[in-house]
Amino acid sequence: MEKLLKEKDEKYIKDLFSSKLESEVELVLFLQSEGGDKVTKFNSQYLPYTEEILKELVSLSDKLTLTVYKDDKEKEEEYGVEQISALFVEGKNTNKNVIYYGIPSGHEFSSLLEDIIDASRGTTELSDKTKAELKRITSPTEILVFVTPTCPYCPRAVRTAHQMAMENNNIKGVMIEANEFPEWSQKYSVYAVPKVVINDNVQFEGALPEDAYLENVLKGAGKIILE
Amino acid sequence: MEEFTNIFVGEETVKADSKIIYDIAIIGAGPGGLTAGIYAGRSRLKTLIFERLSPGGQIAVSDQVDNYPGFPEGISGKELTDRMEKQAVRFGAEIVPDEVRKIKKEGNLFELETASSGIVKSKAVIIATGADPVKLPVPEEEKFRGRGISYCATCDAAFFKDKTVAVVGGGDTAIADAIYLTKFAKEVIVVHRRDQLRAVKALQEEAFENPKIKFQWNSVSEHVIGENKVEGLEVKNVKTGEKVLLKVDGIFVAIGTVPNSNIVKGLVELNEKGFIKTNQNRETSVKGLFAVGDVRDTPLRQVVTAAGDGAIAEFSAENYIKNLEYIER
Repeated sequence: MEKLLKEKDEKYIKDLFSSKLESEVELVLFLQSEGGDKVTKFNSQYLPYTEEILKELVSLSDKLTLTVYKDDKEKEEEYGVEQISALFVEGKNTNKNVIYYGIPSGHEFSSLLEDIIDASRGTTELSDKTKAELKRITSPTEILVFVTPTCPYCPRAVRTAHQMAMENNNIKGVMIEANEFPEWSQKYSVYAVPKVVINDNVQFEGALPEDAYLENVLKGAGKIILE
Repeated sequence: MEEFTNIFVGEETVKADSKIIYDIAIIGAGPGGLTAGIYAGRSRLKTLIFERLSPGGQIAVSDQVDNYPGFPEGISGKELTDRMEKQAVRFGAEIVPDEVRKIKKEGNLFELETASSGIVKSKAVIIATGADPVKLPVPEEEKFRGRGISYCATCDAAFFKDKTVAVVGGGDTAIADAIYLTKFAKEVIVVHRRDQLRAVKALQEEAFENPKIKFQWNSVSEHVIGENKVEGLEVKNVKTGEKVLLKVDGIFVAIGTVPNSNIVKGLVELNEKGFIKTNQNRETSVKGLFAVGDVRDTPLRQVVTAAGDGAIAEFSAENYIKNLEYIER
């Protein structure tokens, strides 16, 4: 396969990682072979590209590793994998809860870079108020963010979900590339992106600022916002 | 497929520092704001660019930009603004992913109230907040927004593979959207209130030659029909009064823009449509506060004019700051 990352981007990412990364980050990728129970005509063509992008990415820093589980039912269960491909960013402040379903390409590639930096440093840039409010979430809460790679407004919605997951491991932040999972998208009537669904009961479309996003997450988690 | 394996690597963002005084705060990282950022960075001014969504502004969702000089083959809006962003960062401008909610002038300093960086202070401010699309004027807009009504063709086109969609509007954005949508949809119906398009001739020719694009002339949108998602668009012929129901699964709207001038409402002079009035230096009715690009009262809203505005505004802001320092001394 032809290389997906351009040379100038590689150089930029290399420099970025060498100045920003602290501890090691593991990217855990789940794939299945043709005929696997989660391989469809929609996601199959993306799988080799997803693996290729990640291979190229981890080669740019010795603090990054890529673990690929292919057709590994046991591991899929351990991580709670719902679809293929599934990518978990595992670092200082994550616990199988910063997830990408489908290819992290287009505009979402930037989300992945920023996630890696946060996971390596164990910090996020959410405001202190948001961090304090997130502490109140004590039960499992899932934030689904439907995107397309061509949507420039989507990375902010994905990043906010992932940063919240990093601040509170009760939260799962999940990006879903809508093209690869049309059934999943249809289940939530996704016709425009970004679309965010929290615990199946609160949803909103479009990019919201951090405070309004938080309010929806707290609502979805059954918490009332404290002023 | 290639569409989706393209990789965009954005520039690193930073946090605003509420303890220091910036020279220039630019609000909005579209072509106008980014150009001002390039010039300010080259002048070694301490410069911040706030962006609430994603750097690039409205043009970042344009598949193809053919009227920005220097790109004979055309360039995608995102690629073009990515380059501007890199250029601004290269010269030292800092991009802050945050929203400015209020602007106050205290003495000679501007205080910007932000969503998550607290109060940020600067000597001069350039408003480059751009504009948002006008909503489809039908009673059902809110119900069907995100359920078939879309304001971003590049974001949402993929949901309408082999479907029929309508594009409402007749300007550059509408016709470019219609052409882009033919990559996915099986049929695209352009609904326009006049009997000819306003879009530039080059785009018109491309649209007329495309067999997937049909036209519903002299028609305005009246109602969106559907259960839980868009199933049709009822349009009325403005000449005959005849109503027609178009069976469409999606409606892409490009009927003009409204300026994002709320943060300066009551502070600076606006025109009757809410666009910010400036003089030829791009200075607003408030000294030290400048406006560029689509949010400005201007006869033409293009990438090239926004970039020109950005350069002039930065030049004016720099002079304003020099003058300020001279008086203070």
